[in-house]
Amino acid sequence: MRIQGLARAAGLDFERIDFRLLDAHEVNGVAAYGGFPTRYPSWRFGMEFERLEKTHQYGLSRIYELVINTEPVLAYLVRTNSHLEQKLVMAHVCGHADFFRHNSWFASTDRTMLDRMGRHSEIVRLAMERHGQDRVEQFLDRVLSLETLIDPYLPLRRHLGADVKSMSNPPTFDILGFLALRAPLADWERELLELVRHEAYYFQPQRMTKIMNEGWASFWHARLLTGGVLEDSEVVDFADCHSGATADSPGRINPYKLGIELFRAAEEQGLDIFRLRRVHNDASLIDLLVDAEFVERQKLFIYGANPKTGRAEVIEREPARVKARLMQDLSWGGLPQIELISAGQSEPRALDLRHHHDGRDLDFDAAKATLVCLERLWGAPVRLSTVEGGEPRRLVARRGEASVDDEPE
Amino acid sequence: MLRIEADRARFREIVRGRIRADLKRYLSTSELFARRGERAVSVPIPQIELPRLRFGDNSKGGVGQGHGERGDPVDGDAGDTCAGAAGEGPSEHALEVEVELDELAAMLGRELELPYIQPRGRNNILCEGGRYDHIRSRGPDSLRHGRRTLKQALKRSVASGEWNPAAPKIVPLREDFRFRANRPRPTPHSSAVIIHMMDVSGSMGREQKEIVRIQAFWIDTWLRSQYDQIEVLYIVHDAAAKLVDRDSFFHLRESGGTKISSAYELCLSQIQTRYRPEDWNIYAFHYSDGDNWSARDTERCMTLLRDELIPRVNQFCYGQVKSAYGSGQFKKDLDESLSGVERLVTAAVNDRGDISESIRAFLGKGR
Repeated sequence: MRIQGLARAAGLDFERIDFRLLDAHEVNGVAAYGGFPTRYPSWRFGMEFERLEKTHQYGLSRIYELVINTEPVLAYLVRTNSHLEQKLVMAHVCGHADFFRHNSWFASTDRTMLDRMGRHSEIVRLAMERHGQDRVEQFLDRVLSLETLIDPYLPLRRHLGADVKSMSNPPTFDILGFLALRAPLADWERELLELVRHEAYYFQPQRMTKIMNEGWASFWHARLLTGGVLEDSEVVDFADCHSGATADSPGRINPYKLGIELFRAAEEQGLDIFRLRRVHNDASLIDLLVDAEFVERQKLFIYGANPKTGRAEVIEREPARVKARLMQDLSWGGLPQIELISAGQSEPRALDLRHHHDGRDLDFDAAKATLVCLERLWGAPVRLSTVEGGEPRRLVARRGEASVDDEPE
Repeated sequence: MLRIEADRARFREIVRGRIRADLKRYLSTSELFARRGERAVSVPIPQIELPRLRFGDNSKGGVGQGHGERGDPVDGDAGDTCAGAAGEGPSEHALEVEVELDELAAMLGRELELPYIQPRGRNNILCEGGRYDHIRSRGPDSLRHGRRTLKQALKRSVASGEWNPAAPKIVPLREDFRFRANRPRPTPHSSAVIIHMMDVSGSMGREQKEIVRIQAFWIDTWLRSQYDQIEVLYIVHDAAAKLVDRDSFFHLRESGGTKISSAYELCLSQIQTRYRPEDWNIYAFHYSDGDNWSARDTERCMTLLRDELIPRVNQFCYGQVKSAYGSGQFKKDLDESLSGVERLVTAAVNDRGDISESIRAFLGKGR
């Protein structure tokens, strides 16, 4: 309560936060469900749980906290955290809660998601009872392969008052939405498709603001704790814990580290950080704040595999290129941009998709398998035009088989 | 129990299904027993991933943070606290799933259609143990049965006329005490010993030993599932034989000649001193590339097998692993001079693909 009071006094503004204490095992269970203990049953969550338990066992990683974007905000704390860690984590959670409430990418997320997940779970269980576990599982797996085929900007446009109904007609990026409207499905199948889509859109803003969200929370836990919450005897432990979370990690970007540095840089430049956290996502914030000085000070570099050894190596540190690469990696949620161009124009009922190629080729094996999932669902051939090694390519899925067809359009 | 446990169970079921479907492949690799525990093996399986549209190889890499000049290696395999890093696909760590050895044996049995073994020897050995479902008049205080003690005291006081219904009072004496007891009951108990013998002379190379190792693993797994108690002996030989532990068995490499009879003699003396055929089910396996020092020694082997070894064992199996130098003569000799001997099985293993066939040959008789 004291921490929340300090957070509010510092300008953070958030919903009531519901803290729950769990042991490490339970937290892994909740984390495997993406934070929702009421989520529908699936072997994938079991697999995730298995992985979390193993990495926890081997001491490779440890979850301190989980925050769920609902109203009230739900925060799970691990019982074995030390007293200091709990303080730090609570301050951190206040940052997340403020971010969920004010960042515009989250504006149209479903805050009753906990109940909604419970309903989804009921739907899936009922379907399994009626149509058999294997059949439902198979259908769900198929839909989940297509989970990323959504339009990340759709929720924002909805928030800005656009008519989103018409946006699921081709040409569209909201391929899941199109399928929910037009695919020839049984009622229960359509229901499952819609619930997967709903969850995908719910989680989408978190993908697009990972760096900001963690940065904002870390920025505030550091500020609040060093601004009076810490007792003298806790300072060293705090420094240890904080620097552990925000350490450089050579092989990949640590969102905690990059995020906190972005907000610090913004504050130094005299920018209104509260406004920044409201209007930006990761890519746009980096576009605004990263310059040559930032790249140098933060020692950012591009790495890639050495073609001879296969080992990851530092490739270059040229600021403009580092920035460009960073933004490319973050754009569109880090996924290839796939658009549905038309349905039934080139051939009756066939779907034509286009990959907006930006220099990065698709993983063709995975793409073929995914197209087959789409083709099975849609019930008619599916084509995807893309580029491989500079050459135009077309992937075609029909009757459960996918092939590469290199005749250009 | 957490709800997630149900999902984990489902996941494991799917994994088992995959292992079962893929058992043929596992039968010829050493993947399975790389990390083997007492009762279970960790099976590394590639993460079962749903296909997704994602970037391929030419976008590997990304932006990192830290020191280092151009060309310096980046050893970034940070923990999962920083998952979801920019530009990286989902982690490609292999997942390990524990499978009980018994379950693995069951899969093997189903795949190769192995018959169950009828153990021979003294089947029923009296075992201590069993449930505490009896009463006796002596025992430790911790097992004292209160109700029965009081009942006994009541009986005694009624019988001796001390009982006064107006003032019901019973005082148990030492003789009234009753204790819970268990009754030893015979439980079938069968034991077996596996004797692995291998030629470690110069001509047996790394690949040959690997094949033996894989085969021995599956044989042990199957036999273990068939008997309550298993002991395994390892004998290596070149011109002379010696008893070694499991680890040296698979890694020892000697040069020099080959005298197969030395191993058979050691095997026989072990059986004679430690494993009486009346009490033990004995399985002897011998692996070599088929070269022996001399025809005289081969002659000696045949005599040993026919007169001494084979009568004492459940089955004697000879697996001939093809090597670049081996002539493969020994199997021919065996097949010729001991043809029709029921408890002798020979098999030729040319490469890893033959492993499952030879396991079927060895274990398919149900002896």
